[in-house]
Amino acid sequence: MTKTAIASIAIAMAISAGLPNISWADTIKIANVIELSGAGATVGSNWRDALKLAFEEINAAGGILGEKVEVTDYDTQTDPTTSRAMVQKAIDDGAYVIMGPIYSGSVKVNMMVAQQNGVPQLTGAEAPFITDMGNPYIFRTSFGAQQSMPKLVKYLTEEMKVKSVAVAWVNDDFGKGGRDSFVAELEKSGIAVNADVSSEVGQADFAADVIKLKSSNADAIFAYLHEEESARLLKEIRKQGVAQPVFGETTLMNQKVVDLAGDAVNGVRGHVGLSANAPIPGIEEFAKKFEAKYNYKPDHNAIKAYMGAYVVKYVTTKNGKVDRQAFADALHGMTITPADEPGILMETSWDDKGEVNRESFLVEVKDGKQTVVTTLPKL
Amino acid sequence: MSKHTLATLVAGLAILILLPFTQSNYGVFVLCSWLVYSISAMGLNLTLGYAGQVSLAQASFMGIGAYMTALMTMAGVPWPVAMIAAMVLCFVIGFLLGYPALRVQHHFLAFITLAFNALVVLVLRNEEWLTGGTYGIVGIPRPEVLGLPTQTPLAFYFFVLALFVLMAAALYAIIRSPWGRTFKALRENPIRANSLGVDIRKTTLLAFAIGSSYGGLAGSLLAQLTQFIDPHSFGLTVSLKVLLMVIVGGAGFFFGPILGALLIVLAPEFLRFTEGYYLMIYATLVIVLMVFCPTGLLGLVERARTALKLKQNPNATTWEAGR
Repeated sequence: MTKTAIASIAIAMAISAGLPNISWADTIKIANVIELSGAGATVGSNWRDALKLAFEEINAAGGILGEKVEVTDYDTQTDPTTSRAMVQKAIDDGAYVIMGPIYSGSVKVNMMVAQQNGVPQLTGAEAPFITDMGNPYIFRTSFGAQQSMPKLVKYLTEEMKVKSVAVAWVNDDFGKGGRDSFVAELEKSGIAVNADVSSEVGQADFAADVIKLKSSNADAIFAYLHEEESARLLKEIRKQGVAQPVFGETTLMNQKVVDLAGDAVNGVRGHVGLSANAPIPGIEEFAKKFEAKYNYKPDHNAIKAYMGAYVVKYVTTKNGKVDRQAFADALHGMTITPADEPGILMETSWDDKGEVNRESFLVEVKDGKQTVVTTLPKL
Repeated sequence: MSKHTLATLVAGLAILILLPFTQSNYGVFVLCSWLVYSISAMGLNLTLGYAGQVSLAQASFMGIGAYMTALMTMAGVPWPVAMIAAMVLCFVIGFLLGYPALRVQHHFLAFITLAFNALVVLVLRNEEWLTGGTYGIVGIPRPEVLGLPTQTPLAFYFFVLALFVLMAAALYAIIRSPWGRTFKALRENPIRANSLGVDIRKTTLLAFAIGSSYGGLAGSLLAQLTQFIDPHSFGLTVSLKVLLMVIVGGAGFFFGPILGALLIVLAPEFLRFTEGYYLMIYATLVIVLMVFCPTGLLGLVERARTALKLKQNPNATTWEAGR
């Protein structure tokens, strides 16, 4: 054992005592705890850019209750444990509301910390269990899979007359949650599951998976994977000349998938909670502003973040004070219409569990563009 | 132990006790992770630095320890029992995993341990009835020590610190004992050690088993720290991270893994202000360190001291100056 060793440890610790813990006065602090690196970087950067855009607009219009909003990004690295630490850091820094993250596995871990500290959290996650855990501080910005899957299965049975389905899904919290909800709905409707193929996050080769899907002889293929893997799967499906129609939910028709997979996405149909191509004036205007600023097309995560920012503005203004508890209390059971707050884009309601409810869309990708086939009513 | 060393140790401990009071909750969380990873890295240092066996499975032992503790405490078993059981289980599995280590060496052993790590992750993910599968386990309780709850970050920090000091002292005792010298003999030259009557088989197995049980304890603490575990938290990346801690700090030096863990847990924090570039800068720093100092930071210190002594006494051999 050396003195030098101890001395170097002591010095390192002395430095660490100075970990930054800076605070600003007279601003409303919003913590953006989001996937900026790792597997979720694609969705996280969409969310961050839209959030920035929204709060810049809000600040330019005089802020909230006369105070400027300050957004700080915290990178979860798409890792649940890091996301927990980041939420802790955000709370230490005095966050009024936490925005994000999107990956369900991360939300499950860090929502407990936000709950213990009474900080409202607007998440982009879709796994059903998030709102089932009875946390009064969690609010969704997108549908949970348990809400979107029934809409999709209804379409499959009634419009497409499908009798059997082959399911491809990604084995993480997001994929498993969606797959379980979907299969449960299929069972209710008496549709057979001919193949059940799971894949890994970051998987590069889908050749074997597609052979299984193809040889299942199901009437349709349902794919529930993250954006990058979706693109790879679709490319492989086209390469192997699979004849069955391909269906999905939100991510499969995502703009990022279109960008990555090109022609392979054409003909894919499915349900989306939000789409930049939806025939809604507010969304069209947002998509234009976003593309002008960042030079790429926003996906549903961007719309979620943008609306989320205006939810913060609307609820806080309505409460007349910056108060976390009042925020959480007020948002339960609230309906916000674009007439009340144009930034909300579409009429949206929250129930007593923080689950979101609004119109959604059935889309088909044609020529690399989402085309809305039907607008589905609120549940 | 000299008076001087003792004084520095006491000072170090005093810093560890006072440090959390200057920190936010997040800072305390980071300090806790540092101590937890230090325990894991200390175990690997015994296997790698002292007994010379390259293991890429330390994260799997952390996983086994974490799940064991989580499942037992959530089933109502008192925490000391659960944590000791986790350590014993890791000891036994480490002992068994040590058997292939008797047959293969170096990178082949690394492959075997790598495969073992992958196997553990797959079991954790697929045995849903027990481990919760991909969803993992949420809401793991923190222990109550002598009737005092450790819910607050500060209380939990002191709980971790106490175990850290205990484990460090135990490791120090092991290394100073005849066993420790046997480990070192094995690392330096197994054939010569054998000729001197060292039982290579028993020693290798024991180094693996003790190192693994340290991993198990670290896993137990990690489960209670984050109150959430999933298979992903114990994948190969984590094993590599622990290995990096040992190597960056200095394998075979007592304080090596502790210093290594400090750097690897804290470096991303310091570099966070660089935003999108921090992972790149961090990776570059590690590469530079490994190129210029393969023996780790403490190896660098050791080298400087040897050079200084050689300057003072030019007639001494390098070996003498290194003593």
